[in-house]
Amino acid sequence: MRNITKEYPGVKALNDVSISFEKGEVHALVGENGAGKSTFIKSITGAIRPTSGTIVFEGKEYPHLEPNQAIELGIAAVYQELVQFEAMSIADNIFMSEKSAGVMLNDKERCKRAAELLKIFDCDLDPRTLIRDLSIANRQIIELAKATVKKAKVVIMDEPTAAITVAEQEKLYKLVHKLKEDGVTVIYISHRLEELFEICDRVSILRDGQYVKTVGIEETSKNELIAYMVGRELTSTYPEKKPCTGEVLLEAEDLSGNGVEHISFKLHRGEILGFAGLVGAGRTELMHVIYGAAKKTAGSLRIRGEEQRFASPNDGMKAGVGLIPEDRKFQGCFIDKAIDWNIAISDLSELSDGIVMNSRKEDALAEEYKKKLRIKTPNLKQKVSGLSGGNQQKVVIAKSLAANPDILIFDEPTRGIDVGARHEIYVLMNELAEQGKGILMVSSDMEELLGMSERIIVLHEGKQTGELTRSEFDQKKILSYASGLTPEA
Amino acid sequence: MENTNKKRIGKLLSELSMPILLVALIIFFSIMSSNFLTAYNLTNILVQNVHVAVCSTAVMIIMISGGCDLSIGYQMSVAAVLVCKLLSTTQIPVALAVILAIVICSALGCFNGIMALKLKSHTMIVTLGTMAIFQGISYLISESKTYHNMPKAFMFIGQGKLFGAVPLNVIIMIIVVVAAGFVMSKTSIGRKVYAAGDNPEAGRLAGLNVSRIKVLSFTVAGVLVGISAVLLASRAGSADSSTGTGIEFTGITACVLSGVALKGGEGTLWKVIVAVFVLGVLSNGMQLINLGTYPQYIAKGVIMLVSLYLSNRNAEA
Repeated sequence: MRNITKEYPGVKALNDVSISFEKGEVHALVGENGAGKSTFIKSITGAIRPTSGTIVFEGKEYPHLEPNQAIELGIAAVYQELVQFEAMSIADNIFMSEKSAGVMLNDKERCKRAAELLKIFDCDLDPRTLIRDLSIANRQIIELAKATVKKAKVVIMDEPTAAITVAEQEKLYKLVHKLKEDGVTVIYISHRLEELFEICDRVSILRDGQYVKTVGIEETSKNELIAYMVGRELTSTYPEKKPCTGEVLLEAEDLSGNGVEHISFKLHRGEILGFAGLVGAGRTELMHVIYGAAKKTAGSLRIRGEEQRFASPNDGMKAGVGLIPEDRKFQGCFIDKAIDWNIAISDLSELSDGIVMNSRKEDALAEEYKKKLRIKTPNLKQKVSGLSGGNQQKVVIAKSLAANPDILIFDEPTRGIDVGARHEIYVLMNELAEQGKGILMVSSDMEELLGMSERIIVLHEGKQTGELTRSEFDQKKILSYASGLTPEA
Repeated sequence: MENTNKKRIGKLLSELSMPILLVALIIFFSIMSSNFLTAYNLTNILVQNVHVAVCSTAVMIIMISGGCDLSIGYQMSVAAVLVCKLLSTTQIPVALAVILAIVICSALGCFNGIMALKLKSHTMIVTLGTMAIFQGISYLISESKTYHNMPKAFMFIGQGKLFGAVPLNVIIMIIVVVAAGFVMSKTSIGRKVYAAGDNPEAGRLAGLNVSRIKVLSFTVAGVLVGISAVLLASRAGSADSSTGTGIEFTGITACVLSGVALKGGEGTLWKVIVAVFVLGVLSNGMQLINLGTYPQYIAKGVIMLVSLYLSNRNAEA
């Protein structure tokens, strides 16, 4: 039995929060971005020091923990962005923090032990494989194996399913169960509320740094959790959208390139066309071909009836295609630059007289999109890194819209964005479609695909395996197409 | 409220750390040596650092584009040696020689940029290689000789005074620096250079031709290096293969001191120029107070580490 109690009177990031975690339970921690989840777990792992309050672990009181102290106590964390030694092998990573008997490492024995460990996790990777060659799901398994080696009593998992496929999720859930059976306490942080009902025992909700409530998972519902998280009832996650009736904007016929083959579809004005598939199915790769960021090798791509040959994203933009990439930080925006700077970057020629930038036009453009997209910021000179995920995404959207595209590609439009802000992005997408733009949406979030798309195209290993219209939408069908199976009639 | 004020002051301090350091050094050396704060000495500092300032501008542009050029010193060496050899052994017109120096350096810079692109390696490693090549070329041209006897018109660039008082090379520096500052901060070209260095992948997906921008940055930097070579050789009135070598480190030091990000995408020209004169005042002052050569090295290193500490601490606050 262990109790962890934490208090932070008077500090905004986390205000007087007390939660107790029991041995052998899977305890979920939910809340919108900025609710204080990360601050909370960081004070457990010793990454930060609470201003006040105490941590009680197995009956002993600590005013704060140092990182190595937390490790010795048996607290392990699997962070969302995994911190691993990329150029070293699986075995090296697993046993990194283990004190060795002598100076020499017995590589053979370590590999054997690593392989045994991995077997527990149903994983038959060669322990000599380098970390950088692994998928994200496998990297998480390595982290869990590491926690087992350290005989962790508490394992904290921060959004473990944010970047892995459905099949991998199932595997992860099993592992969580296994940990639980071994008496390990799992603190599980997730934005995907559905999965909490599969694996968790209790849920604690944080909102604006305040502790809201802890509930048993059987006694609650998804809507109730959302209501606790945002502090109000959300009427509907997915807004209503007028059906599209427009002409064909984009037509792909037998399109191949960048690892995808023989893709054919049509996109109409005012339509949201969803793309489903597992990670690695080639959805993002296909979008890059359509945008000109990767080369088309065969087939045809017509925009407004005209055949296109893109050599670079610049060509794609000129033809009226805009991309909102899946990775906001590294592809979508210049995170350390100001909001207006970001919005202006795809439209420099319009915003300058000759080569000299016209700062009045630049300000006006940023102001216009701030209003149009309801970007919440006191100042457009603020760095994008200081914004919430939802507002960052709006900046990325503004940046694409500034080039005035007809076709918008949303690649994982709401990844890492909390529930309240998601709704706003959806409303925005519908507005854009209603203005006559055509939208291609890649998403790994099944509910989002079903809720937003008019039609869904399913890819599997670079090939098109299915296409469904609204009336045929069915989660199971999509999943079997995505796994390369033919669904039963 | 108090907190935000403190933050604001911290930000201002980090923003103005270079001017503050410059003023502090000037006050310090004025007290320590009666010879420091004289018109003669101050002019000297200015004139001696003209080519460093122009060269540091080149270093900054490359660093903002996300690169690093270690070969700049030998680019200067090649240009200076060639021009001085031609001027002292042939009847080549001075104007042509100057243009030649600039063209050569921009070609070498362009070569660096293209090599980095084709070899898909970090520019620091690529220019480590080209540095050796340029060094070889320079010695082949110079035949390990020093070239004197420059025409008067050429010497006038580095030593001449306008209206009997204003050094011509200082005016050239001001024009070059102001022009470069304008391009970097006020034009779409400058904006693209920042974008390419800050996040090349986001830049590419935003429709920028990142490779072209990087090669262009190297080429433009080459133009500045050429100008810098002419300024140095014309002031010295002679050149050999060691002319200009090692200047890339002074340039990189000035850039890093003034907050130009090593990873690219960040940097402000006026701060770089102030940092150049911080380094200039430092070495001049230390000589005036008769600090030995070796203690000078130590003092330079300490000042650099301290100012890095200050700017980082304030940036975090």
